[in-house]
Amino acid sequence: MSLAKFVAKRVLEIVVTLFIIATLVFLLFRLMPGDASSVVAAKMTPELKEILRARFGLDKPLWQQYLIYVKNLLHGEFGTSFYWEGDVFDILKARMLPTVLLFTTGTLLAYALGVNLGRIIAWKRGGKLEYGSTLTGLFLRTMPMFWVGLLAVWVFSYRLDLFPVGGMKTPEIWGATVEAGLLTKILDVAYHLFLPLTVYTLAIFAGNMLLMKNSMLETLKEDYITTARAKGLPEKKIRDHHAARNAMLPVVTALSLGMAFSFNGSILTEKVFSWPGLGRTLVEASLSHDYPLAQGAFILLAGVVLVAVLFSDILYAYLDPRIKY
Amino acid sequence: MTSLLHTEVKTKWQRRKKWVKNTWMLFKKSKVGVLGLVILAIFFVLALASVIPPKINEMYIPLYGTDPEIMGISPPSLRHPLGTDFMGRDLFSQLLEGAKWALIVGITAATAAVVVGTVVGLVSGYSGGIADTLLQRTADILLTLPGIPIILVIGAALGQVSIWTVVILIALLGWPGPSKVIRAQVLSLRERPFIESATVSGASSKRIIFRHIAPNVLPLSFLYMTFGVTTAILLEAGLSFIGMGDPSTVSWGMMLQWCFTSGNTFNAPYWLLPPGLCITVLALSFYLIGIGTQQIVNPRLRER
Repeated sequence: MSLAKFVAKRVLEIVVTLFIIATLVFLLFRLMPGDASSVVAAKMTPELKEILRARFGLDKPLWQQYLIYVKNLLHGEFGTSFYWEGDVFDILKARMLPTVLLFTTGTLLAYALGVNLGRIIAWKRGGKLEYGSTLTGLFLRTMPMFWVGLLAVWVFSYRLDLFPVGGMKTPEIWGATVEAGLLTKILDVAYHLFLPLTVYTLAIFAGNMLLMKNSMLETLKEDYITTARAKGLPEKKIRDHHAARNAMLPVVTALSLGMAFSFNGSILTEKVFSWPGLGRTLVEASLSHDYPLAQGAFILLAGVVLVAVLFSDILYAYLDPRIKY
Repeated sequence: MTSLLHTEVKTKWQRRKKWVKNTWMLFKKSKVGVLGLVILAIFFVLALASVIPPKINEMYIPLYGTDPEIMGISPPSLRHPLGTDFMGRDLFSQLLEGAKWALIVGITAATAAVVVGTVVGLVSGYSGGIADTLLQRTADILLTLPGIPIILVIGAALGQVSIWTVVILIALLGWPGPSKVIRAQVLSLRERPFIESATVSGASSKRIIFRHIAPNVLPLSFLYMTFGVTTAILLEAGLSFIGMGDPSTVSWGMMLQWCFTSGNTFNAPYWLLPPGLCITVLALSFYLIGIGTQQIVNPRLRER
């Protein structure tokens, strides 16, 4: 099977999965007691209620409601937020980029760091370095990430006053008083991103580092490493070209399997640092019973996760020519 | 006849005793595994001790007891070794209560997840066909989606959650991982000669699955349970922190949420530090026990 065919198959699977998820979400909210609580809130004006009832066909039987729901989803219509009283999709559109920014940079950093450190630690095995890094890795793996985030804010933002306490932008720079240049804006976001990114990366890189180390230790026992040594190749070349390349495969497999874990982490990070992303929106909407917003945020978040998994699958198929499904 | 039966029972019992002894000998070799057990024992004692403070004085009741002389946040003192929270509740008795709930939540959620995962893995691996496809597809979807959003959305639809809802939801999300591993193991066991001979002797599928295959995958299940406890404890803490916890249960995650929402994150280290440290160390202890178990389950990891 060619790579294009493989990708096409995976994309189809993702569409089906998203469809199943959307259906389950529909059933979850519609089958709850009360008057179709996912669309109409008690505090809305009667006029708005009428409009929404008509738009979502709440007087019709369930299967027709379902068809309307699917049609609305395909048109990007997720309903009206109870709290913000605006269109859900418009609200979520602005929250998508921050999540993708934090998640993508963090995940890439964590893998680059994990693979490189794991490689070096395995190479210098048996010493204090291996012992210390394994212990650190275990602690990072079992520390509640949100708590590490709180500690980081306490020390670096509150005590040392080095970083902002939360958020993504300084309002003054973003047009509250004066419109600043593009570079200033980028630097401002980077300044706000630093702490959440560090905490998120620390929390997920440890698993990759330990996995890479173990995989590397296994690979070093292989015959072709002995052969490379016998040929008198430089140590660095054996480590990076012969051992690390093969040892990386399990880590790349773990990339797509670990996506769910990473996303959990990014939601907690968004909450701690008031990062204006999908995760925090989902948390707040769920807790304030803003059902349309929670529903929309959930479906979009699932979409982002599935696309991330697709990318890691493609990467895997690309790196390992044996994978031809 | 009776004497024959008696000896059989005795040998079976002796065999079990020997097995326990052998397993312990193997486990003992793993220093980290033993360290994990020691830490777990300490937390077990702390959890049991959680009944003591409320008996000493009513103000030490973790959820309702407030110190009438303080009625607010206060730093550590003789009366309150870890200080009090924003309502004047004793933080040390909350910490002990938290140990109890961490163990209850972690162990029940992980056990439930692994029992379901093992049964699904056994059925799916042995029977194959449509049942296998359906179960594995469901597992795939659950493995891809992050747990916190799923629990949030279900929690939002339910309106309010109790600690047992949280346990059930964590278990519901925890079975796919173990089920995949068990299934792979069953697929390999299925082809072994001893299963073939059982089939030829006319054993039913049910008997083969639960009598012949299951005992061979149980160590693996136990391994996944220990790692599952770590995940469950961390997940419960995270959920409580973002507000999707049971407010009538004093868990460590809940303590941190109270600290955060009452605006005391930056001025009360005696409130912020202990719960987080406890979560870390208890989660670590189960992880270490898992590493110790791994060396029993996977002989390749043993030092030769």
